[in-house]
Amino acid sequence: MEQKQSNSPASFIDSTVVPGDVVLDLSSMTNQTVKLGGGLRQDCDAISAMKAGTLRFSKPNKYWVESSQKRYVPCVEDTVLGIVVDSKADNFLIDVKGPAVGFLPVLAFEGGTRRNIPKFEVGTLLYLRVVKANFGMNPELSCTDAGGKAAEFGPLKDGYMFETSTGLSRKLLSSPTCPVLEALGKKLSFEIAVGLNGRVWVNAASPDTIVVVANAIMNSESLSGAQQIIMVEHLLKSIQ
Amino acid sequence: MEGRLANSWRLTVNDKNFIKTALLSEIRIDGRKPYEYRKIAIKFGREDGSSEVQLGQTHVMGIVTAQLVQPYRDRPKEGILSIYTEFSPMADPSFEPGRPGELAVELGRIIDRGLRESRSVDTESLCVLAGKFVWAIRIDLHILDNGGNLVDAANIAALAALLTFRRPECSLGGEDGQEVIVHPPEIREPLPLTVHHLPIAITFGFFSNESILVIDPTHNEEAVMSGRMTTTVNANGDICAIQKAGGEGVPQRVIMQCLQLATAKAVGITKQIKEAVEVYNTERALRKIKRHPTSTSVNVREKQNQSIGK
Repeated sequence: MEQKQSNSPASFIDSTVVPGDVVLDLSSMTNQTVKLGGGLRQDCDAISAMKAGTLRFSKPNKYWVESSQKRYVPCVEDTVLGIVVDSKADNFLIDVKGPAVGFLPVLAFEGGTRRNIPKFEVGTLLYLRVVKANFGMNPELSCTDAGGKAAEFGPLKDGYMFETSTGLSRKLLSSPTCPVLEALGKKLSFEIAVGLNGRVWVNAASPDTIVVVANAIMNSESLSGAQQIIMVEHLLKSIQ
Repeated sequence: MEGRLANSWRLTVNDKNFIKTALLSEIRIDGRKPYEYRKIAIKFGREDGSSEVQLGQTHVMGIVTAQLVQPYRDRPKEGILSIYTEFSPMADPSFEPGRPGELAVELGRIIDRGLRESRSVDTESLCVLAGKFVWAIRIDLHILDNGGNLVDAANIAALAALLTFRRPECSLGGEDGQEVIVHPPEIREPLPLTVHHLPIAITFGFFSNESILVIDPTHNEEAVMSGRMTTTVNANGDICAIQKAGGEGVPQRVIMQCLQLATAKAVGITKQIKEAVEVYNTERALRKIKRHPTSTSVNVREKQNQSIGK
């Protein structure tokens, strides 16, 4: 362990880390700012992992631990799919699959004022952004981007929402496009919204397309890229 | 209050509408046809009388144990069969630990009724000494994951566990012939239970439009459907039990249609359970055979040593 710490921080990148691993030593890199994502914490100069997974690094300075879970731990700037649970005078209570319900302030919409508070019935599906995620506090959500614009956020109409692991939803969002979506998109036309909390919403003109896409995505969980393409081709052949 | 909000599972308005509209064109969210059952996987534990059943996402474990007890006064010659259910919060956050919920009681009752009223397990053969000792068979059903249609999955788990369960053989001895001797499994091969037939529970879901009927509803469908009916039938077409609790009324014509469908499905499921048990029994027998050569070879050597010593 001691040896690893003295190594350059790059040695941990793209390798598996477990809770307690000190992945970065800030004392040796005082001249740069570091942005921490999910699964990392700072103790003075040491950055240690809080969950098991793969340590990822994105240029110039972002670090996070990537893992796959059924439960979602909110993280700032994540886009998530939430379900309205209850509405209060100041907040909508939103279920984001996390340990606590999220708060969506009633004014957190584009051009939101006290006059035009939207009405959502319980069970409405919303595409949201996490604004604050602190320990011991309910996460705060927003229906606008950082500039206050609606930018695709808001309620999703019709379609079908299903749950996946957080790892799969991250894979679906990755670029270059995930092989399942690539293969499905060649033959079918559909609309998709992926939340990093492991929720995926699909909409298409006909219910069969939605069912095919939803099942293809759910089946792709443990398949490699090539296997995913074969699976999708198989599935598409069987429905034609 | 907030904790409960986070724990309760809920379906979005989108999903509710989608499930209904898709069903109008006979499509179900997992790609099944309305009268199609999910895939059943039956596994057995290393010990006799334990089974694990997977029905799609649903996962149920069944364990059968037996104990010698005093019989009920009014039935001195009959063994006792009892069912206990355990709904772990791990399976579904809405299950509360400790106190059994409404669903847990209903599930236990449906399976109990199916097994008992149809006399599928021969309780008279469980009598050891009339009025004094009978075998009490206890079936524990643990719900490990709730993916919908727990009743059918738990019922299959109970049957699979009952079919592979073996109770120790016992005989009467002592001076007055009233003492019960339980033979350990190494000395006398334990006996399987007498199961006359397999009552298979098949659950149907009804949707607000009475013409929509689905078999083996999933978790999501259960949240949308307006009525549910469980029919317990066996492969011979005998109806063992019907449970229709609350919800929307169902016309007689539909019930008859359900019974026909259920009988057809029961034949298939019975076959599958029997095949799985067969495989388990052969494996069990093979395990026995493997153990013998080592023990006999040791015995032979001991005997040789003894004869040499003489």
